[in-house]
Amino acid sequence: MSNPYLYTLVRWVAVGVGMLLLMLLTYGLLRAFRARRSTAAGYALILPWLLGLIIWQLFPILYSLYLSFTAYDVLTPPRWVGLKNYVDMFTRDTRFWPSVRLTVLYSVISVPLGVLGALGTASLLAREVRGIGFWRTLYYVPAVLPAAATALLWRWMFASRGLINSLLSPVYRLLNMEPLSWFSDERLVLPSFIIMSFWGVFGANTVILLAALKNVPKELKEAALVDGAGPWTVFSRITVPMISPALLYVTIMGVIGAMQNFTAPLFIATPSSAGTFLNVYVYQQGFTQFKMGYASAVAWFLMVLILILTAIVWKWSDAYVYYEGELRQR
Amino acid sequence: MNRKLSDLIKGFLTYFLLTLGAAVIVVPLFWMVSTSLKGSDALFTYPPDWIPRPPVWRNYVDAWRMLPFGRFLLNTLFITVLAMAAELLTTSLVAFGFARFQFRGRDTLFFILLCTMMLPGVVTMIPSFMIWARLKQVDTFVPLTVGAWFAWGPAYIFMMRQFFLTIPREMEEAAIIDGANIVQIYWHIMLPLIRPALLAIGVLAFQGNWNNFQSPLIYLHSTDHFPLILGLKFFEQSLSKEAPMWNYMMAISVLMALPILGLFFAAQRYFIEGLNVGATKG
Repeated sequence: MSNPYLYTLVRWVAVGVGMLLLMLLTYGLLRAFRARRSTAAGYALILPWLLGLIIWQLFPILYSLYLSFTAYDVLTPPRWVGLKNYVDMFTRDTRFWPSVRLTVLYSVISVPLGVLGALGTASLLAREVRGIGFWRTLYYVPAVLPAAATALLWRWMFASRGLINSLLSPVYRLLNMEPLSWFSDERLVLPSFIIMSFWGVFGANTVILLAALKNVPKELKEAALVDGAGPWTVFSRITVPMISPALLYVTIMGVIGAMQNFTAPLFIATPSSAGTFLNVYVYQQGFTQFKMGYASAVAWFLMVLILILTAIVWKWSDAYVYYEGELRQR
Repeated sequence: MNRKLSDLIKGFLTYFLLTLGAAVIVVPLFWMVSTSLKGSDALFTYPPDWIPRPPVWRNYVDAWRMLPFGRFLLNTLFITVLAMAAELLTTSLVAFGFARFQFRGRDTLFFILLCTMMLPGVVTMIPSFMIWARLKQVDTFVPLTVGAWFAWGPAYIFMMRQFFLTIPREMEEAAIIDGANIVQIYWHIMLPLIRPALLAIGVLAFQGNWNNFQSPLIYLHSTDHFPLILGLKFFEQSLSKEAPMWNYMMAISVLMALPILGLFFAAQRYFIEGLNVGATKG
């Protein structure tokens, strides 16, 4: 193919036109079978998503489950090996458990801290002080930057002779200790990634929580203050319950995102003894070792792990999250 | 008097904390730009040199020329624009369908859509790759752009639907009485009305595709097809492997971040609106 742009453009246009024709066809067919106008239009309109769901989600999930029971090196067809991949993963693979540990600890520590930080930042930005627009804009900048660029920046700042160690050198001298080597020290990999994740406090979560804070009715807080409640009571008894759906949303999305941490670890070299983030591990096993069957088993394990963590957050939040208009039985 | 004093302290504390947070954001960014303007012999000075003297502006030109970054930029733009356009068109159509038409199974399907927001991408990665490999499209831009016709991004559909729900029904009813069909209603009435949502999601989609790393990494293999982010990775892995050339890597990072920052400052309102429509009206 001489011109990759033209090559892609042709296919892009063809699939786009094809999709629109398929939608029209669906509408026509449904109408021909005497479906109501709104039924036909509805199904025709959601067709792209419905096809995507089947082709790019349902089928891949099931296929990846099948692959996880096979040995598959891309060149020869998948060969059924039963539970071997899972047995190897749980009992033989020495890199597996350290990776699980790193991934889970990272998520379990960084997400709650991150949500608390975002809540604090949002409360700060919710105050109507002069020039608040400027601050809100500034606080969103880290979220906009490419994760690759920020990962490289943090690796550079955490380098053994980088900015952080330079700034900390008086402390090192005071405590009479060697400078820390952060990402290169197997024991410090996890804390370094967690520190780095604090940067994500600013950004999307803050914006979402800020909007939720702004939606809390002022009268409610004022009434409580008149009744003699202190600011802390107002915050914990009124504000937090009122914004709890948003808190739940950012927590769950945060857990799903953190468990699949990918870009930053690929730009930051760490000792392999510290473990590899599981998403990266799946990528390495599948696309550099060409063990697609094994990689699928790890991917499935990771998915189940994410579902369990999400379910725990959900279950636990049940007692706390307040939805307006919901009746509670006590 | 007492009241005034406590207000003063509160105000002072607010500004103090705001400044503290701002420092956490600005200092690393400043260090990034400062590093990008240093000569290779000035990288590891102690105490750290905040303002390089003289600033080596040539770093940007040199870094850009070490690899075909012009080509990488073109690739990035090409992928981003095609994917974004297809995402906008299809997600708005799907959202229109969910928001405005009654059909059996609609609410169940919409619930499934919400569930897919939580589906970890890691399980679909390998089979998706195999589909594209079977279609012989690996190492082309096709997997990164054509797939967007399948209404990528359940979150975008959700946001867009929420927006559709705020538009009064009378608008379409009048058009239906006038004999407009669904395509006409969508094109002439709905699209102009959902312009703010389209802009918001356009900005988010642009950012998402521009910053995307995992899919290009999996699907693109020859250097000619690399977007900027793979160019940066390649640079880090090859030329800059043994002795990291931090000044050049920071220069490339700055160049990669600038368009997104520019877009953010120009379309800030839409960025923030996009995030909020999705999360709070749920």
